[in-house]
Amino acid sequence: MRVGLFVTCLVDLMRPRIGFAALRLLEHAGCEVVVPADQTCCGQPAWNAGDRATSRRLALKLIDEFDGLDYVVVPSGSCAGMIRVHYPEVLRDDAVARARAEALAARTFELTDFLVNVLRIEDVPGGFRGSVTYHDSCSGLRELGVKAQPRALLGLMPGVELREMEAAEACCGFGGAFAVKFAGISTEIATRKCRSIEATAADAVVLGDLGCMLNIEGRLRRLGDEHTRVLHIAEILAGEDG
Amino acid sequence: MRSQAMHFQARVPAKLADERLQANLARASGRFVAARAQAVAEYEGDFEALRDAGRDIRDRVVADLDVWLETFEASAAARGAEVLYARDGEEIGRLVVEIARRHGVTKVVKSKSMLSEEADLNAVLEAAGITPVETDLGEYIQQLDDNEPPSHILAPAFHKSKEEVAELFARAHGRPPVDDIAGLTREAREVLRRHFLTAQMGLSGANFLVAETGSAVLVTNEGNGRMVTTLPPVHVVVTGIEKIVPTLEDVATLLRLLPRSASGQRISNYVTVATGVRAAGELDGPDHLYVILVDNGRAALAGGEFATMLRCIRCGACMNHCPVYQSVGGHAYGWVYPGPMGAVLTPLFTGLENARDLPQASTLCNQCGAVCPVRIPLPGLLRRLRERQMDEGLRPRRERRALRLWGWLAARPRLYRLAVRVAARYLDWLADGTDRIRVMGIAPEWTAGRDLPAPEGRTFRDLYAARRKHSKEEGR
Repeated sequence: MRVGLFVTCLVDLMRPRIGFAALRLLEHAGCEVVVPADQTCCGQPAWNAGDRATSRRLALKLIDEFDGLDYVVVPSGSCAGMIRVHYPEVLRDDAVARARAEALAARTFELTDFLVNVLRIEDVPGGFRGSVTYHDSCSGLRELGVKAQPRALLGLMPGVELREMEAAEACCGFGGAFAVKFAGISTEIATRKCRSIEATAADAVVLGDLGCMLNIEGRLRRLGDEHTRVLHIAEILAGEDG
Repeated sequence: MRSQAMHFQARVPAKLADERLQANLARASGRFVAARAQAVAEYEGDFEALRDAGRDIRDRVVADLDVWLETFEASAAARGAEVLYARDGEEIGRLVVEIARRHGVTKVVKSKSMLSEEADLNAVLEAAGITPVETDLGEYIQQLDDNEPPSHILAPAFHKSKEEVAELFARAHGRPPVDDIAGLTREAREVLRRHFLTAQMGLSGANFLVAETGSAVLVTNEGNGRMVTTLPPVHVVVTGIEKIVPTLEDVATLLRLLPRSASGQRISNYVTVATGVRAAGELDGPDHLYVILVDNGRAALAGGEFATMLRCIRCGACMNHCPVYQSVGGHAYGWVYPGPMGAVLTPLFTGLENARDLPQASTLCNQCGAVCPVRIPLPGLLRRLRERQMDEGLRPRRERRALRLWGWLAARPRLYRLAVRVAARYLDWLADGTDRIRVMGIAPEWTAGRDLPAPEGRTFRDLYAARRKHSKEEGR
C-alpha cells in the first residue's frame, strides 16, 4: 500500500518532528510512505480568506502531486478537511477538476482516522506515561468525524491515563488569520480552553492540529502555565525519534 | 434600526474588558448550551432525521416562495385578514402608523418581532404620537433601559444579570427592589396588565405563517403573546416573507425542532395559532387583523448562493454556541441580528461594505452549523461573503497583497522551500535560544496575548531530504 504523506505547511515550518512522527507511525504499520518533495500548502488560508483563485491553484497543484497514490494521509484535521470537504467546492466551476478532487477526497484521511479505520492498527510504538486530556479540533471533529479515533489510539497505550476536559469540542480560538485579525477575541476564547485544560490537571494536552497547538501552547505559557505539555497526537503515539 | 456593524472591531475591546458582561454571557450561554444538549439527548426519535425534515420543509418553501405567498394570502384573506407587503423597514413603519391612525390607536402592546427592530418601529410609533409597550419580559426590560436594543434574538436581555434587572425595575417602577426572579416577573406582570387592557392594537411577529390555513403561529413562554393577539381590537402581525410553511403538519415538525434548539424545551409554554379575525359567535380575537409581510432584502436571496439562509427559523442556537458571540455578546454586531446568522444577514441586508468585519469575525469552527436545526451551512456562507469582499475590493490592500504573494510562492516549490527555510531560521532567531517568541514584530497581534512557540529551526523538507540522502549513502 503506497501512502502519500502531506506534512502540511505549518509542520514543515514549525514542527518537523510531527511530520517524522506521522511517518514512523505509517511505516510501523507497514505502509510504503511517499513524501512528494514539491508539496507546499493545501490552500486553506486562501480559501478561508475568500481568495478563490489562489486556493484553486494550490488545490490543483496538490491533486497533481498526490496522483496515483493509494491514500493521502495528513497529520491535521483542518488540512485533511480542506482536501476532503472543500476541494470539490473550490473547484466547483470545472467538472473535470472537480471529479479529480472528489476522487482524491475519497482517498484522503486525517492521520488518526487512517490508523484506526483503514489500517486498523492494534499497537503503537510510543511509550508515554502520564495523564493526558484531548482537545477536539474543530475541522477534524465537525468536518471529518474525528472523535473516537484518537481516543482509541491513546487507549492502546498502557501508560496513558485520559482525563476528559469540559467542553473538549469547543473551539480554541485559533481560526487561522482570525487569531491575528481579532486577536483579543481569539485570546479570550483560548483562555477558556486553557482553563478547561488546567482543570483536568493532566500532564499534557494532546490534539491533532498544529495551528490549535501553537495557539493553546502560546496562551498557556502567557498565562503562566509552564508545566502542561502540548503534544500532537502523532508525537505521543510514535514516541521519541529513534 | 441604523446599523452600527461597521464598528464591530472598535467595540470589541470594551466588551472584552466588561467583567460583568463577561460573567453574564458565560452564565447565559452555558445554560442555553446545556439545555439544548439535554433536550437533544432526551428526544425520543432521531434528532438528525428531524433536522433533515426541517431543512426539507424550509427548502420547499424557499424554492417557490412566490407561490406559497399567494397561497398564504388567499387563505388569510378568506379568514378576514388583510395581507400587506413592506419593501423595507421604513415601509413597515409607514404601514403600521397608517393602520393605527385608521383605528384611532394611541397605545400598542407588542410581543416579540425582530422585524420591529429592522423597522426601528418604537421610535417611529413614538414620533407619530403612539405609545408602544413591549410586553415580552426581555423586551420590556430593554425598553425600560432607555430603549437599549436587544442583544439576542430570543432573549433580548441575554447580557443582563437579574441584579441589573432588579435595579432597573426599582428605578422605573418606583417600588422597593425585589431580588428574586419570580418577584420581578410578578412586578412586570402587574405593570403590564393594565396596558393589555387599554391598548387598542396588539403587534406581534410570527414564528411561522401557515399557507393552508392563513394562520400566524407564535411560540412564546410568557403568555403575553396570547394577550397581544386576542385582547386589543386590532392585531397586526409583522414578519418576514420567508416565514411561510405549507401545512400545520409541517409546523408540528418544526415545533419539535425550534424549542429544543432554542431553549432546550420540549415545547414552549404557549403555542398560539392565530387564524383570522373574531368570527360571529366567538368570544375572543381581534376585530381587525393585518399581516405585514416584509422583504427588506429577503426576496433577493431566493435562488442565489445565500438562499439557504432563508431556512432560518430564528432559534438562536448558532449564537448560543458561538465562541465569538460568547466573548463579545450581541451588541458588538451592531444591527438587529447577532451571532453567526447575524454575521451572514447583516451584510446581506444592510450592504457588504457597511459590515466589513462581520464575515471575518468567525473562527469557522462550525459549532453553529452543527447545531442549526435546519442545517444552514453558516461557515460556508461566511466564506462566500469573504469571497465577495475579496472580489469587490473590500479587504485591505495589505491583506490582498500578502495573500497574493504567499499564493504565488506556494505555487513555486523551490522558491517556497527557500522562503520557509528563511522564515524558520528567522523565527528561531527571534526565540533566541528559548522555547518561545514573546514579541513578534511581523504579527504583533499574535503575541499581544500569547507567546508563539519557537520553531525547531529547520524545515521538515530539508530534514527529510538530508535523511534520504544519508540513508542512500549508507545503503550504498
